[in-house]
Amino acid sequence: MAEPAIAFRLVNKFFGRLHVLKDIDLTVAPGEVVVVCGPSGSGKSTLIRCVNALERVQSGEIVVLGESVTSAGANLTRLRTQVGMVFQSFNLFPHMTALQNIMLAPLKVRRLARAEVEKTARALLERVGIPDKADNYPANLSGGQQQRVAIARALAMHPKIMLFDEPTSALDPEMINEVLEVMTDLARDGMTMMVVTHEMGFARRVARRIVFMDGGVVVEEAAPEAFFASPTSDRARQFLSKILSH
Amino acid sequence: MKRLLALLLTLAVALGGAAPAFAETTLEKIERTGTLTIGTRTGSPPFGFVNKQNEWVGFSIDLVEQAIKPAIERKVGKSIKVEKKESTPATRIPLLTSNAVDLIAETMTDTRARRESVDFSLTFFVTGAQFLVNKRAPIKGIESIAGKRIAAQQGSTNARILRERVPTAQLREFPDQPAAFQALAQGQVDAYTNDGIQLAGLKAKAPNPGDWVIVGDFYSYEPYGMAMRKNESDFRHLVNVGLMEAIEAGKYFEIYEKWFGPKGEVPYPLTAENKRFMIMQVVPK
Amino acid sequence: MRYEFNWSVLWSGQSGSWLLQGLLTTLEISALAWLLAAALGILSGALRTVPWPPLRAAAAFYVEFFRNVPLLVWMFFWYFGVPPLLPGAVQDWLFNHGAEFWAGMFALGVYHGARMSEVIRSGIQSIPRTQFEASQAIGLSVWQAYRLVILPIAIRLIVPPATNESLNLLKNSSVALTISVAELTFQTRQIETYTARAIEALTAGTLIYLVLCVSIAAVMTRLERRFAIPGLIARVGAG
Repeated sequence: MAEPAIAFRLVNKFFGRLHVLKDIDLTVAPGEVVVVCGPSGSGKSTLIRCVNALERVQSGEIVVLGESVTSAGANLTRLRTQVGMVFQSFNLFPHMTALQNIMLAPLKVRRLARAEVEKTARALLERVGIPDKADNYPANLSGGQQQRVAIARALAMHPKIMLFDEPTSALDPEMINEVLEVMTDLARDGMTMMVVTHEMGFARRVARRIVFMDGGVVVEEAAPEAFFASPTSDRARQFLSKILSH
Repeated sequence: MKRLLALLLTLAVALGGAAPAFAETTLEKIERTGTLTIGTRTGSPPFGFVNKQNEWVGFSIDLVEQAIKPAIERKVGKSIKVEKKESTPATRIPLLTSNAVDLIAETMTDTRARRESVDFSLTFFVTGAQFLVNKRAPIKGIESIAGKRIAAQQGSTNARILRERVPTAQLREFPDQPAAFQALAQGQVDAYTNDGIQLAGLKAKAPNPGDWVIVGDFYSYEPYGMAMRKNESDFRHLVNVGLMEAIEAGKYFEIYEKWFGPKGEVPYPLTAENKRFMIMQVVPK
Repeated sequence: MRYEFNWSVLWSGQSGSWLLQGLLTTLEISALAWLLAAALGILSGALRTVPWPPLRAAAAFYVEFFRNVPLLVWMFFWYFGVPPLLPGAVQDWLFNHGAEFWAGMFALGVYHGARMSEVIRSGIQSIPRTQFEASQAIGLSVWQAYRLVILPIAIRLIVPPATNESLNLLKNSSVALTISVAELTFQTRQIETYTARAIEALTAGTLIYLVLCVSIAAVMTRLERRFAIPGLIARVGAG
């Protein structure tokens, strides 16, 4: 097996006294799509926020694309240009148009030429299906459109890994699919992805592996078929019965 | 626009309190309230200042209490008390016109321009503008201040005269004496100009009086008068009678000696010329 | 007795040119002080929200120290306290070239910078933390995140309180007359000295301040609308 894209080694994290990640040992292979699920407060969001160092850990090591994220001298800017992230609340910059949101990082972090950046940005909008919304401000876009711009913004840096933190939780039901479709396309193109989501249909179709967390611990790791058919732990069974019953 | 102007006028009048509908003369007011309210200084020794015993005293205050008050009491036929309020060059005319005080008794120079707004008593003190400089400074008087930085008191006639006579002098006008003196002591300015008597007072109070000298001939004539509201000749007459009687009876010179004599707060001997001038202001009975 | 107004004192003699000079000095000292205050305010206001405690503490110290001491004291500090620390030749040059103006400008700018800082800080803190995280996640440095995302949003949000603070600065510039800066209030007093017409001179000064403040407020309101962020601040008269 090739070197993992992401590797957690005995990672522990605390918020004050609260022990939110306990001895996490987990790897994600290049091109792999991993869905992280679990009840709220299980630590799943915190887990993926550690990958691009939005959260710092107290012990253990996280290696991303062969480089340690947790060491003191880690080059966070380079890490973050290689790891794109999509948030639950979109977090587009409200004072910029869709196009400007996408162009910001390539212009200011990579310092690429404007014409080239704009071409890429328009192509990305095309790819997420809203080429005509380039000049709209976030406030004038629907939630689904905003999230697709946010995905395009993350892709603009040509990341090797994409993190999704509950990307559809804040969306109205009719908009969820348009975002999941874009994510499915990405997975098909071979992007390495860690996705925190409750969309079990998406998990079943797209994920290569399901990571079930509860109480800061990885309780279960399994291929989707196995996980949904016969979860080994009681906690996963309870979780699935709640989430699949409606 | 017209309405706006009218509104502002009303506002100005209201703020100034300038037009009481039923006007009462100053004398009537003093008779009714039993109080003569004067505006005077708290930091201009020896005319009006707060002394070390924390009493508000001074030459101008003594003149009011020992010369003018008796004359008014005789007229209204009862004893009155003198109430003091603080006035400054910037506030003294508004204080008068707003009826907050009845008489300004401090260090106010009688000028023709001011006489258009207020009336003045006899001259009760004569001085003129000079310069306070460091004893090593080259300035010797108004003839040697061209291009120099000169501090003056904001709202004083001295600044006005300097601006006209020596336009190249760099004037710095301070609202109060301590700031102006500080500027002189630190070298922000080369000289501080004010009435000679003010400079004498300042020098006497300075930490090292020997470091400072008062130079130059009087380049202005500063006759100090007491100011009151215009067109109140009865009241003004009483003020003048009080002053004249004090000069005639020698009381004025006693008070002068108390404040300006060798043992006074600010030694500033009365010249023969000024003494004669004071006496000649007294008209026959 | 009735006060007789004589408005002609405002345009006879030198009064007109004094008022104009005073107005120019007031505008000049206020504009320069405003630039200084804006720079210091943005810098310290932003530093108070950054993730490095020592910088936060330094900015907090600046704000508390400068805004809790009266402006008058700062005027004296910059005019009397600072020059003796400079070499003699510099002092002399300064004293001949408007030391009082520069001292007054610094006093105003530094004092109002500390007050502006609080306005900026509250603007920044009203922006969701996730905007900062999103900036970090796409690779922006902390400095870039502030410059490109946080401050542009914060500054648009704080236009009304910042306008207020700017008007305060303009009005407070009159305190500079205590260190002999010949600004507008100084000149109205000057007119009063020469003409003994306090109410007329005061009214003229008041009117000029009023016109200045109203115009500044109007310009700021236009700016606010012009640069409003769709959806964040209601744009008056648009969708």
